[in-house]
Amino acid sequence: MIISMDSSLKKITSLFTLLSLAAVSHAIEAQSVWDGVYSDAQASRGEFIYREACLSCHGQDLGGNSNSPGLVGMGFMFLWEGKTLGEFFEKIRSEMPTDRPGQLPAKDYLNVVAYILQENAMPSGKELSSSAAALDAIAISSK
Amino acid sequence: MMIKTAKPLGYSAIRAHSILLPLAFLLSASFSTAQIEDFASVTDEMLISPPTGEWLSWRGTPAAWGYSPLDQINTNNVDQLQLKWSFALDDTGAVQAAPLIHAGIMFIPSARGVIQALDAVSGDLLWEYRPAPPTEEFINSGEGTRAAVLPPGAFAGVGRGVQKNIALYGDMIYAATETASIRAIDARSGLLVWETQVADPTLGYFYTAGPIVANGTLVTGITGCDRYKEDVCFITGHDPETGEEKWRTSTVARPEDPGGDTWGDLPLRFRAGSDAWVAGSYDPEANLIYWGTSQAKPWARAVRGSDGDALYTNSTLALNPDNGQMAWYFQHLPGETHDMDEVFENILIDVDGRKSLFKMGKLGILWQLDRETGEFIKGTDIGYQTIVNLDPITGKISYRDGMIPRIGEELNMCPSTSGFKSWRAMAYSPDTSAMYIPITLNCELATFGPTERQLGGGGTGPVRRVNYHHPESDGNLGELLALNIPSGEVKWRYRTRAPFNTAALTTAGGLVFIGDWNRTMSALDAENGDVLWQVRLATSNQGFPISYSVDGTQYIAMPVGTGGASWSGSLPNELAPELHRPRNGSSINVFALPE
Repeated sequence: MIISMDSSLKKITSLFTLLSLAAVSHAIEAQSVWDGVYSDAQASRGEFIYREACLSCHGQDLGGNSNSPGLVGMGFMFLWEGKTLGEFFEKIRSEMPTDRPGQLPAKDYLNVVAYILQENAMPSGKELSSSAAALDAIAISSK
Repeated sequence: MMIKTAKPLGYSAIRAHSILLPLAFLLSASFSTAQIEDFASVTDEMLISPPTGEWLSWRGTPAAWGYSPLDQINTNNVDQLQLKWSFALDDTGAVQAAPLIHAGIMFIPSARGVIQALDAVSGDLLWEYRPAPPTEEFINSGEGTRAAVLPPGAFAGVGRGVQKNIALYGDMIYAATETASIRAIDARSGLLVWETQVADPTLGYFYTAGPIVANGTLVTGITGCDRYKEDVCFITGHDPETGEEKWRTSTVARPEDPGGDTWGDLPLRFRAGSDAWVAGSYDPEANLIYWGTSQAKPWARAVRGSDGDALYTNSTLALNPDNGQMAWYFQHLPGETHDMDEVFENILIDVDGRKSLFKMGKLGILWQLDRETGEFIKGTDIGYQTIVNLDPITGKISYRDGMIPRIGEELNMCPSTSGFKSWRAMAYSPDTSAMYIPITLNCELATFGPTERQLGGGGTGPVRRVNYHHPESDGNLGELLALNIPSGEVKWRYRTRAPFNTAALTTAGGLVFIGDWNRTMSALDAENGDVLWQVRLATSNQGFPISYSVDGTQYIAMPVGTGGASWSGSLPNELAPELHRPRNGSSINVFALPE
């Protein structure tokens, strides 16, 4: 079969585009909290920050109390499912701790996010980036 | 007052109980002494009828009026009030202090178990009780459960550490702790005499309300009952001499008990809430204590798995202080389902010869009960809530159409889960026959969510919250509402942008004192609500203002502080974002007229 160069190029281009889209699409789908989006080292540092700055309200088991929402399990998922890690990061960065909101280094907030993911039994993996675009691309979802 | 000045202040107290404190502190000479010599023991009679100028109970007397019979400071001269002294309190936790006055000494509960004795005229520190930090072993004992204690050095500017009130009786100060124990501290020296562990803090139990003493029994109400465990909330009576527990009355009907079926078929472990987190009142003639209980947990019926009444949540309990037996109960909101707490103070007033009890919960319904029988007398809905209808004859409430929350469905409700009324106690004046009630005006779009029904789980249940201003508030969060008693008619309202953040204090000088979140302390004319005097303090007014006199001079004391429930920070942060307060500045501030 003779295929014109023009047609062939078009098909190759189309195929490449499709593959690219698939790759991009695959990358977006992969950005969920279940895809290894934080490192163990970050979570470990986050636990230290949590104990210093968050535990007194949210509890040792992150379960919260009458005045502070739980950060694990069904309660956490009810409040955050369908949102992005960027929104969650921004919430705690701008409002926590309640008596000195925004006063921790950004990296500390990021590490606390990593610790919360770990406590929700979400798997560790690569380093969590503080880039807003990267955080916005990670969906909070139930497994 | 006579003070012995032989040894460094607090040395013995610190040596005995806080050996981890730095040596430099132990050797500090900046404090003076520890032993108060002329301290008359506080008797039952004194608690009921305090000597002139003394403030012996957290709301003045066991009837909890929040009223001072002193009138040296009055509507004619209050504009001359001056600061006499101020004393910084710990900023390591939330201060919601209710100071006490006896023998010219102010005893003040501060954050995280600290109690200080101050010369009530000069503000000099006489002694200080400062508990030792918890051990690592104790901290780690709660693995897998809610944090019972904080690690040493942990920042705790918000959240726990509240001790609202303490009790004075005999020669002792009694305190209830954030680690679920009660302590007796020698009022003369600040030395710890005994400490009794009442409940296991690793299960979540703790105290924020202090004890009262009724007919020689020390009574405390526990909180931290929101998580599922193999036990429930309770009130206990103790021997003040030894701390020995004399009785324990559950605030939740157990499955096998009368009323046990009001939780449906839920086993004991899933009957949570009914916390007793505000101290009670006492009527010596009836020999009954009156104690409120909180709402059931999780908050929403659909989440906790029962639409039953859930006895004895959101009730007023009348208990015999000698044995804890329940003489009667009145459940204000059966089967409550929006976090509308009714746990707050009980004010005992005789109205037209009828021995009555007044109280108000988050919904803003002023209840009048017969305190001898528990019979409903009158209910006054202040008219801001959108959740229930109140039958004025029976006192029964019914939920308005569509107002019972379903999981995941947004509900538009007034008030928000923070309530119109909270721990900020109202005060009664017999001179005006009126109640002065600190109200926070607010509403919420609330979506209640599920929680795990398993041991250690439960809790309040999650809520997606969008707070908004009450449509009748004109953008104000704060309202001091004066209601005529017993009619319930509005006498006057005073509104402010910031929410009020203290109890009200009434005086025989025709005054009402109150403080707001935005640092303003005010004195108003109790008759008409005119603002007669104001001052700005270090940070949010927070706690229970009192009045007292020593050597013929009347004083007004106002505590300020940050942190602590309920929603002391989030509502103003969200709805009045232009207001800011310092995060530190906990203190007690004392005012009097010029000499």
